[in-house]
Amino acid sequence: MDVLKTLFILLIFPGGLFVLANGMVYEWADRKLVARLQNRVGPRWFQPLADLLKLLAKEEVVPESVNARLFVWLPIVALAGVLTGALYLPIAGLQPSYSFSGDLIVAVYLFSMLTLCTGIAGANTNNRFSLVGATRTLTQLFSYEAPFLLAMLGPAVAAGSWKISDIMAYSSTHPVILLQPVGFVIALIGLMGKLEMRPFDAPEAETEIVAGALTEYSGRGLALFYLGRYAELIAGLTLMSAFYLGGIHNQLDYIVKTLVLLLALAGVQTLMTRLRIDQIVGLWWRYGTLLVLLQWLVTLLLKGMVL
Amino acid sequence: MDFGKTWNEVLDRVKTWARLNSPWVIHFNSGSCNGCDIEILATLTPRYDVERFGIKLQGSPRHADVLICTGPVTLQARDRLLRVYEQMPEPKFVIAVGSCAISGGAFQGCYNVVGHVDEVIPVDVYVPGCPPRPEAIIDGVVKLLGKLQPAKQPPQEEIV
Repeated sequence: MDVLKTLFILLIFPGGLFVLANGMVYEWADRKLVARLQNRVGPRWFQPLADLLKLLAKEEVVPESVNARLFVWLPIVALAGVLTGALYLPIAGLQPSYSFSGDLIVAVYLFSMLTLCTGIAGANTNNRFSLVGATRTLTQLFSYEAPFLLAMLGPAVAAGSWKISDIMAYSSTHPVILLQPVGFVIALIGLMGKLEMRPFDAPEAETEIVAGALTEYSGRGLALFYLGRYAELIAGLTLMSAFYLGGIHNQLDYIVKTLVLLLALAGVQTLMTRLRIDQIVGLWWRYGTLLVLLQWLVTLLLKGMVL
Repeated sequence: MDFGKTWNEVLDRVKTWARLNSPWVIHFNSGSCNGCDIEILATLTPRYDVERFGIKLQGSPRHADVLICTGPVTLQARDRLLRVYEQMPEPKFVIAVGSCAISGGAFQGCYNVVGHVDEVIPVDVYVPGCPPRPEAIIDGVVKLLGKLQPAKQPPQEEIV
C-alpha cells in the first residue's frame, strides 16, 4: 500500500499530473489576463491543452548535427526536475508531500534545472539562433539566480530555518511582505526572469532570434519544455505566496494568493517591453543583488535587536 | 468491437481536435511586393485577435503547422522556400495568400520568377486578392481547418 500511495503522490496528486493540469490552467489565465489588458478577447480555456496535445502528436525532428541522446533526454530531465521540486511545496494548500531540513535550497536548485536544460539544449544544436538563445538563457540565469535565491532566503533568515514548512509557519504569524518589501519585489521579478516573461524574454526574443534556445525543437521535446515551464509557473507562485503573502493554509488561500500574484505578473508583462540582455544583467547585479543584500542586513539587525 | 480499433479512433479524434484548435503559423515571403505581408501582419494585430482561435505566429519552422506563403516564387527564393517547407515537422499545411502566390500575378513570365507557389510545394488553400483582406486570410485558415475535419469532408465521388 505504501508503494501505491507514494506512486499516487508522485504521479497524480499533488505531484505529477495535478501540477501539470494546474500549470495549464494558470498559463491560460496568464494569457487571458494579458489579452484582456490589451483589449483583446484572448484564448479559449483549453488552449494550452490543445497546443500540448498537438505538439505531442507531431513529428519530432532530430537534426543531424546534434547529439541525439542529449537532444531527446534534456526535455525529460527538465520536466522531472521541476516536478520533483514541486513535491517540497505546499501545492493546493496541502502540506508538502516531502520535507526535510534544508529543502528550500534543493527546491530552488531543482527549479533552475529547467533553465539549465534549455541552455544546454540550445548549445547542443548547430543552429546559430539556438546558440545565441542559449548564451542569453545562461547569461540571464547567472544574473537573476543569485538575487532570486537571496530574496527567497530573506524569510528563511528571519524564520531561522531552511525548511519550507518552518518558513511558512513563520510567515503566517508575521507580515513578511511589510517587513521585507524589497525581497518581495525582487523575488517577483526574479520569477518573471525564471519564466522568461515579457520584460525578460530576450532569450527567446522571436523578433530577433527566431525562438531562442528551443528553435530546433519540435513535437514532443517542445511540448515537454512547455510543460516544464507551466509547472515552474505553479511552483514559483506557490513558493512566493507561501513565503511572502502569509502562507497557504487552505485551498481558497492557495487560489486567491496565487491568482493575485499572477495578476501582478500579467500587469507587468503588459506594461513593459523587452529589455536587452545587458540591461537585464545590469538591472540584477547593479540594483537587485545590492538591494536584497541591504534587506538581509536590515533583517539580521532587526532580528538581533528583538532577540 | 475491437478494443484496439476503438482506442485508435479515440486517439485520432483527440489528435484532430488538438490540430484544429492550435494552428501555429509561419509566414514566408518568397518574392512578394509586401502588400500581402502587411495584410498578414494586420491579421495578427489585437484588432482581429487570432489568438482566440489558437492561431499563433511562430518564428521557427520547427514549431509551425501552417506555412503562409505570399508572392510569386523567385529563382533566389525557391531553394529557401523548399528548405523552410522541409524543416517543418509533419503534419504540415500550406496556404498561398494573394494573386501572385496563386498564379504569379503581375510577375508572371518575369525572367527571375519560377512561378506560383504550387509549382514548388503542395498548397492546401488559396486565398485570392491583391492583397486579400485580413478577414479573407482568417477565412483561409478556417477553410484549411475545415478540410482537416473528417466528418465535414464532402463524400468523394467514385469514378467508374
